[in-house]
Amino acid sequence: MADIAEKSLSVASIAAYEREFGESAHEWAAILEENAEQLKRGRYSLHWLDPKDSGWGRRARPSSRGLTYADVNQLPQSGELPKTATWRNFAPRGSIREPYRERMPVVESYTVLDRDEVWADNVIELYEEAKARQWNATRDIPWSELERLPDDLEKATCQLCTFLTEVEFVAGDFPAKWLYRIPQDFLEVKSFLSTQIMDEARHQEVFRKRAFAGGGLLHSAPGFEWALKAILDAPTHTMGTFLLNLLGEGLVLSIFRSGEMIAKTHVDKEIFRRCLQDEARHVSYGVLELKNSLDHAPDHDLAIEELHRFADVGELVILSAFSEPALVEPLAVLLGGSLDKIDQGMEGMAKLWAMFIAEYLQRCDRAGFSRDERCKIPKQAIWAK
Amino acid sequence: MTEANPVPFPSLAWFAKLGERMNADRARHEHLGYVDCIAEFAVRDAYGPGRPLRAQVTFVEFSAVDVREAGPADAERADFTLEADPKTWRVMIESIAKGKGRPALDQTLNYLSHFDSPFRVSAADPLKRDLYFRYNQSLQEFVNASAQSVTVFDERG
Repeated sequence: MADIAEKSLSVASIAAYEREFGESAHEWAAILEENAEQLKRGRYSLHWLDPKDSGWGRRARPSSRGLTYADVNQLPQSGELPKTATWRNFAPRGSIREPYRERMPVVESYTVLDRDEVWADNVIELYEEAKARQWNATRDIPWSELERLPDDLEKATCQLCTFLTEVEFVAGDFPAKWLYRIPQDFLEVKSFLSTQIMDEARHQEVFRKRAFAGGGLLHSAPGFEWALKAILDAPTHTMGTFLLNLLGEGLVLSIFRSGEMIAKTHVDKEIFRRCLQDEARHVSYGVLELKNSLDHAPDHDLAIEELHRFADVGELVILSAFSEPALVEPLAVLLGGSLDKIDQGMEGMAKLWAMFIAEYLQRCDRAGFSRDERCKIPKQAIWAK
Repeated sequence: MTEANPVPFPSLAWFAKLGERMNADRARHEHLGYVDCIAEFAVRDAYGPGRPLRAQVTFVEFSAVDVREAGPADAERADFTLEADPKTWRVMIESIAKGKGRPALDQTLNYLSHFDSPFRVSAADPLKRDLYFRYNQSLQEFVNASAQSVTVFDERG
């Protein structure tokens, strides 16, 4: 039955595809016909040799670290970053494209047309840094040095890695979901989001490998899943970026820092140190993306209130992950040093909780979104005395 | 390979030596990636009670381009400050030396600073504080290079 359903879906999809391009054939087939006719006659157009008024001719010069987007963007002919994107296709910003506008198709999925829904003032710097600080989970981790741990610590490590494997790819899927909705004129943002997707693929990879190097994955958890769904289903890019990059990744950054601190092997230390660097970049984008969005909101008070409404829900759903025994307990065992010392570890977890919330609220303030009075996550751990 | 000439700690020369080491090992730092920040490494009470040594290291790309002792005019320059007492520094440096460039599990920068004690990380701006995390591996390897010289400690350490 499933095969039949899949087949008919495929047939229906092809039929829709044929219909769509059949209906627009008078546009693209006309282009094909004109081009073919010219080629048959042996005529050259050579129109592309004419730079018109594009400013073509000034050459981009590399700065000390190579040729960056910032260097290229100095040139007037590189095209101005628009406040509102009007090019909903692949024609590059800075190319001679106006004469062809009427004959170009519209990519309906490009819907995020407002620069301030995606831009952050540090996005070019973060993109360069992300490329320069890529690492390889296969080669850069000294896997052969991994030592066997006592059973309780190994299981705690593998459980923590299971949690991290489960959560990491939402930070890839969320930007991926929005990446194809962002028009090409915001190419710097698309480029940075691509590095975030790569970072998260590597994190998922490294924690999956670490778990299997220690025995295997352990338990997934419903609380994690609800938190991830809340991120993925965020109604706007800015809201989702706030929940993912600022709150969620801020939390995961704290977990990575804790992971490095409580790691029982040099291999684990290296894994967490590498990952926390990537995560901190994502947090930095989240803070300044939110700031930019709020700074340029046409109705600032309304934007703040809508974000508060969203955060009221989002924080509580994220809390469902942060309260899961499948996360809190292995961290406490690693912090305490053994299963017998889990109570001591919970005291450390309480410190971590307070630190995380304090840092989260500082980042919100930095973005111009004071959350101190309305934060739904308790400032002290719910078990703290 | 450990260099024969001992370097005193705490001193600006000790941090300058780390800068030299970093610049000599460019290939490793290129592999780790850009570091663009001004980090202040502070040793409390280095010159007596209430008189710290504040060494500011300017990292650009893969190099330490400037190492200076922060004077009053430099107070706002640093993106973040990493601060501890001489004894904490000494235990960490000795651990790095003992591990031939790799500190014990409980002597990494992140371990020591995670709960803001015994190392404290401070910054006026949370985004600048996050630079400490963005470049953590590079900063760790910056101090790990101390194993390549013999450190002699001031008696207060």
